[in-house]
Amino acid sequence: MGSRASRLLREEEIEEIKKETGFSHSQITRLYSRFTSLDKGENGTLSREDFQRIPELAINPLGDRIINAFFPEGEDQVNFRGFMRTLAHFRPIEDNEKNKNPSATEPLNSRTNKLLFAFRLYDLDRDDKISRDELLQVLRMMVGVNISDEQLGSIADRTIQEADTNGDSCISFNEFIKVLEKVDVEQKMSIRFLH
Amino acid sequence: MPPKRKNDAIIQAEDVGMEVDATLDSGSEDEARRRSKNRRAKAQRKTKQVSDDEDDEEDEDEAPRKRGRRKRTKPQDSDQDDEEDKRRVRQKGAKAPRRKAANEERDEESEEDQGKRKKGGRAPSKQEKEDQNKEKKGNVKGKDETNKGSEKDKKKKNGKQSSSPASSSEDESEDESDEESMSEGEIAALKEQVEEKKKLIATLRNKPWRMKRRLVLLKEAQEFVEKFEGALGKGRGKKLYAFKVMMTKVLMGLPYGSIPRKTVPRSEQDTAMDFSVLFDFGVRILGYCKYSILFYGYYNNERNIGVLKFRLPLSYLLTGVGIFGYSLMVVIRTMARNANEGGDGGDEGEFTFSWKMFTSWDYLIGNPETADNKYASITTSFKESIVDEKENQKDENIHLQRFLRILANIMILCCLGGSGYLIYFVVKRSQDFAKMDPASLTWFQKNEVEFVMSLLGLVCPPLFETIAELEDYHPRIALKWQLGRIFALFLGNLYTFLFALFDEVNDKLETEQELKNATEWAIHEYNANYSSYYNTTDVPPLVVNPADAVRGPCWETAVGIEFVKLIVSDMQVTFLTILIGDFARAIIVRFLNYCWCWDLEAGFPSYAEFDISGNVLGLIFNQGMIWMGAFYAPGLVGLNVLRLLTSMYFQCWAVMACNVPHERVFKASRSNNFYMGLLLLVLFLSLLPVVYTIMTLPPSFDCGPFSGQDRMYDVVMETITQDLPAFIGTIFTYATNPGLIMPAVLLMVLAIYYLNTVSKGYQQANLDLKKKMKMARDEEKNRRNNKDSTNQVMKDLEDLLPNKSLIPPPTEEEPPHDIVIEKGGKYTKMKPGSAGKGVNLQKEVSLAATNPRGPVAHPPRARGGPPGHLRGPLPGPGRGRGRGAPPRT
Repeated sequence: MGSRASRLLREEEIEEIKKETGFSHSQITRLYSRFTSLDKGENGTLSREDFQRIPELAINPLGDRIINAFFPEGEDQVNFRGFMRTLAHFRPIEDNEKNKNPSATEPLNSRTNKLLFAFRLYDLDRDDKISRDELLQVLRMMVGVNISDEQLGSIADRTIQEADTNGDSCISFNEFIKVLEKVDVEQKMSIRFLH
Repeated sequence: MPPKRKNDAIIQAEDVGMEVDATLDSGSEDEARRRSKNRRAKAQRKTKQVSDDEDDEEDEDEAPRKRGRRKRTKPQDSDQDDEEDKRRVRQKGAKAPRRKAANEERDEESEEDQGKRKKGGRAPSKQEKEDQNKEKKGNVKGKDETNKGSEKDKKKKNGKQSSSPASSSEDESEDESDEESMSEGEIAALKEQVEEKKKLIATLRNKPWRMKRRLVLLKEAQEFVEKFEGALGKGRGKKLYAFKVMMTKVLMGLPYGSIPRKTVPRSEQDTAMDFSVLFDFGVRILGYCKYSILFYGYYNNERNIGVLKFRLPLSYLLTGVGIFGYSLMVVIRTMARNANEGGDGGDEGEFTFSWKMFTSWDYLIGNPETADNKYASITTSFKESIVDEKENQKDENIHLQRFLRILANIMILCCLGGSGYLIYFVVKRSQDFAKMDPASLTWFQKNEVEFVMSLLGLVCPPLFETIAELEDYHPRIALKWQLGRIFALFLGNLYTFLFALFDEVNDKLETEQELKNATEWAIHEYNANYSSYYNTTDVPPLVVNPADAVRGPCWETAVGIEFVKLIVSDMQVTFLTILIGDFARAIIVRFLNYCWCWDLEAGFPSYAEFDISGNVLGLIFNQGMIWMGAFYAPGLVGLNVLRLLTSMYFQCWAVMACNVPHERVFKASRSNNFYMGLLLLVLFLSLLPVVYTIMTLPPSFDCGPFSGQDRMYDVVMETITQDLPAFIGTIFTYATNPGLIMPAVLLMVLAIYYLNTVSKGYQQANLDLKKKMKMARDEEKNRRNNKDSTNQVMKDLEDLLPNKSLIPPPTEEEPPHDIVIEKGGKYTKMKPGSAGKGVNLQKEVSLAATNPRGPVAHPPRARGGPPGHLRGPLPGPGRGRGRGAPPRT
């Protein structure tokens, strides 16, 4: 499988992806074989249906949004480059990456980018704020019908009230960062890709 | 190899001895020569043969010299090779041409060199000749030799046997003639061979031989090493051997049946193997178990056992005490670690809802059922938080509540007392039963104690839960109360049981004393009678079959038996509860649901929940029983391991098959130290009775490792005075002097007091800091709100800008570290006035204009509220909580 994958994947392409995402060569070929196995249409791109076949995503209340995160605005297909770019958010932060000079452009798997990825999952209308309505939608997906609407509303209110520091009744990205300051995002939002 | 060889080799060798060996050799050589007449020896073979020669001659020398030689080059096997060859030749004529040639030549040479060699010197010239091939050959020969050795040994053991499996190998040698020569001082040589074999095994890979040969040699070598290592006292084999000795001789001392304490008494022998007696209802442990290593009584009081001078009594005591020490250490260390881990979570409650909202889903869930459980768990956790919030602002009739709580506690105390009394009563009664004839007792009477204890354990917890409803605590607190009460119940029962047991022990001690006196008197009488009858002072000891010996009640074993019974009945109850309470219930609910008037699954019986806290408590309690019982029944530990293993798999199955997740989300991480605290308490409480018995009760005189001592700890004293150097004894006397112990205890108390004060101080400082941080945060929030709202014009302007979402975060959103820097100064300065000011401003603004960026569905009222209002954990009423939902449009 690996040989097939690397046959289809050009070396220079791998190099570019490596530069962009920080994945190693073998990781890229391995993920490429995963990509091709997901690609039921065999046209070199993945559609939403392809993603929905993954049980973890199918079950996840936020699965649709995660899938959406793979697709550029207004597009229905994602190629391998885009696939890898999204996955790069979940690459674990390695020790030698931590103390790089800060002037360099932030890698995709930095804490901020990980958080931004998570933030976008909740920020449906992409206005860089999580509003009460957006929270309510998420809540409904997560707890279903077990809690009354009224209670859901108050949960959303309480959440905003906790997180909101500038009084606009929305959660901005900075407030989001602040809320999750104590959460070990680097570890929680990392996938151990095989080397 | 076939019997033929055996005939000529073994028999001659054994019967005739060394000289015959030589003759045999020559004879066979002749034969071989005859057969190999036509064959020419090649160069390589020649060298080989030379060495063979030498060996041959050596053989004729005395055995010791041979041995010495062997050490150097080990070629003497080659003569064995030769013989073997010749034999093989007999069987398969074409097999070993080279050997035959070698034999031939050797014969010629041997005569010349004989005298030289007899002196044990080796001709240097020959050695030179051999040099090239020698190493290689040496190895081969070594191998052969060892083969031969192994073979020989086999013969020694069995008398008859087949040759080594590697007869296909060229160099293989089986020399029976050598056999008898190795019989006596052989061990050194054998050792050497073993070493060689080992070396061979290590280097075999590098040898330039064919694979088949290598394999064969390897196999042989390994077999040989394995076989002889043990006998020779080296490596693993020796350890195994020593272990066996230890197990049979050292640890157990004398085997079963040798002395009374290890023998089933005659009166019980006919029923001992009867299974119903062995394990009547699984708990009636009489029969052989009672006199097995499972129980204290089996162990002997011999001070040193075996060559290793294993001090069984001392080890027994130290192990018993050491278990407690180790357990204490582990529990306390774990608690300390948990406490450290929990230390930094100061912000709990600050972002409860946000964290639940953003981080509760487990993204690795791929199984629909697990996902359902996760949904349920998230829901309950949200519900819990809502309840928390409600709890915080609830102020009801405090007097009524207090009254109810006191009432509930009184009721529960009554339950506890009642159950304690019940157990005491039952244990007392069981002692009366024990004095009666067992045949006249019913099953219930025999197992009353265990039955009642298990029943109480089943009935009381639900009762407590019902009573706890009165108290109306927050669920998490209520859970802890509930656990604490169940715990008290268990422990109370256990202790009542113990006290009743102590009564019994005292009874037994009395009867034991009587018995001891009677026995001593009887022996005295016997001696007196004997000496007067035979008129001699040299009285032979009274010989009694161990099974018939008079024996005391051995209270230690009795206590051990009680604990084993408890554990076994506890296990039975667990299994039965799971089978009936979970499995049967699940089946009924599942299948009767098709034809029932109401929904069984959602309605009344429903499925059983898996009660994590109850199970953890059960484990703790079980551990306590082990701690208490292990001293009297060492086998209890093993029994319990079995029990835990089985119950783990059984419960695992039950959980997966017939339980639903607990409705209350159970946060193990937060309650960790609660359980560890319970465990520590149990440990302490189970330590008490054991230490008490060790220090005060006299051990039984005729059973157990401490028999004959006044107190169990006398063993330690004895060791100190007898086996350790005198100065250690002196040190020990000083150390145990009350004058030293009292100050030490005082010092420890003071140290504890000091450390406690320090930790309290740190805690206070921590709290203060947290408070400060919180206030600073609120302050910051207010300040920003003010800025935000005062800059209305700016904001309007911003809103006019196109593509709003691309604007970098507005100016008021400074990076977090700025806040931290500002915090200190501003906080102290602004404190008095700013709050009020903030409120006014905020109100004005929110009245003046709705923030255009606010979400449509969310009127400003639901926003942070009056900023000046110190936002504690409880927000003001009517703001987005369950009861006061914000008006929606």
